[in-house]
Amino acid sequence: MPHTDMSEREQLSARLEQANRQLLQSEKMAAIGQLAAGVAHEINNPVGYVYSNLQSLETYLGDLFRLTDAIDSADSVADLQSIKRNIDYDFIRTDLGDLLAESREGIERVRKIIAAMKDFSYVEDEAFKLANLHQGIETTLNVVNNELKYKAEVVRDFGDLPDIECILSQLNQVVMNLLVNAAHAIEGFGRITIRTRQDNDQVILEVEDNGKGIAEEHLTRIFEPFFTTKPVGKGTGLGLSLSFNIIEKHNGRMDVHSTPGQGTCFRISLPVRQPATEDKP
Amino acid sequence: MIKIQLVDDEANILSALKRLLRPQGWEIHGFTDVEEALGSLREHNYAVIISDYQMPTADGVTYLQFAKQRQPDAVRLVLSAHGDRNSMIKAINQAEVYRFLSKPWDEHEIVAAIKSAIDLHLLRAENRHLLKQVQHQQTLIRAREQELLRLEQENPGITRVMRDDDGSVLLDDDEPR
Ligand SMILES: Nc1ncnc2c1ncn2[C@@H]1O[C@H](COP(=O)(O)OP(=O)(O)OP(=O)(O)O)[C@@H](O)[C@H]1O
Ligand SMILES: [Mg+2]
Repeated sequence: MPHTDMSEREQLSARLEQANRQLLQSEKMAAIGQLAAGVAHEINNPVGYVYSNLQSLETYLGDLFRLTDAIDSADSVADLQSIKRNIDYDFIRTDLGDLLAESREGIERVRKIIAAMKDFSYVEDEAFKLANLHQGIETTLNVVNNELKYKAEVVRDFGDLPDIECILSQLNQVVMNLLVNAAHAIEGFGRITIRTRQDNDQVILEVEDNGKGIAEEHLTRIFEPFFTTKPVGKGTGLGLSLSFNIIEKHNGRMDVHSTPGQGTCFRISLPVRQPATEDKP
Repeated sequence: MIKIQLVDDEANILSALKRLLRPQGWEIHGFTDVEEALGSLREHNYAVIISDYQMPTADGVTYLQFAKQRQPDAVRLVLSAHGDRNSMIKAINQAEVYRFLSKPWDEHEIVAAIKSAIDLHLLRAENRHLLKQVQHQQTLIRAREQELLRLEQENPGITRVMRDDDGSVLLDDDEPR
């Protein structure tokens, strides 16, 4: 009977869909687990020294209060001076500045990691909308202008683009990461070219620099979370993996071509329209 | 002066530790570079060596293995942001680390760990010193025994010279009374 046939098929496809959802969920959990292990390590370092510095700060404050409390109780200035020598006042005074600056640096790093983590998770309320990519690029250039202007001349090689269906703030973030990376790769003063064009139902965005390039053995690793060649404290190694994630979410592609000593080009292609999601009619 | 070596690729970790340990009065040498840390093992005798677990050029366990070769008496500690079991097992089995400390650390915990490491180091140094003394004494004894043997061979009976109660040598072959 065709009727039962139909309902069996429906049941089957419902089960398949559920299995798919579970698979997706477990993949997501695995990715989160991996990320969490990496993040714990990255965060424990700055938290480690900030926490330690707070303990030192407590000791310093105890010593300083010993001095200020003595103002009322000391018999003579000489007594105060002897306490001051005793607590190694000069050392505390110079070290406090370093202690605070280093701790601030640590907190800043944690903040950056947490901010990046947020972007890894799907933010539901940010919807795909038709937007002008060139406008996004200009906004981003304004934001990073300070980092770029002493490092490179920025060349815009823009084609005609239709509005594309995207989450523009996230694409801006990708462009920002690429621009900052390009600037970091340039020793002295160089050139960064931003190129756009349409290719059928895709738009292509390229960010090219004439910086130091990427070593062959690093090419396969640059999209890994926490992979960085920058000095400790300077790069978290999240920029590209984050960007990769965003482009993936947009059903796009990102690849890289690089020649050590000559430069690097990151190339992104994005669909003009997002493919219809299954739950839409 | 007790010398302590700290190795961590992150300068801020080194300065935080130096700061925290300063009141203890130990001489603390910090290194962000593993090669330099290795080099300094030739110049200084350390009581305690504390290394990060994960560094870009070498992992802490490998470094501590080298350090163990160069300075077996220095007590080795690992300071790790990982805290997972595998890294702990590796550290203990391969580099024979004395303690496994985790980031973030606590002042009392880390000071106590270093103090007992220093005690262990001093104990080892004392042991080594005593062993040397014993060995020295043994060679002296052996030399003396050999000399006696040689004398006995050249002049049989000479090592069994008999004396009377006030110490004078008895020359007759009779047994003493
Ligand atoms: N344009 C480029 N030229 C040369 N090397 C690059 C370029 N872009 C990325 N890289 C390499 O890829 C690595 C990873 O880049 P990524 O942006 O993910 O992290 P990062 O820049 O090191 O740190 P951050 O989290 O601050 O962005 C960099 O450390 C660098 O070695
Ligand atoms: Mg980057």
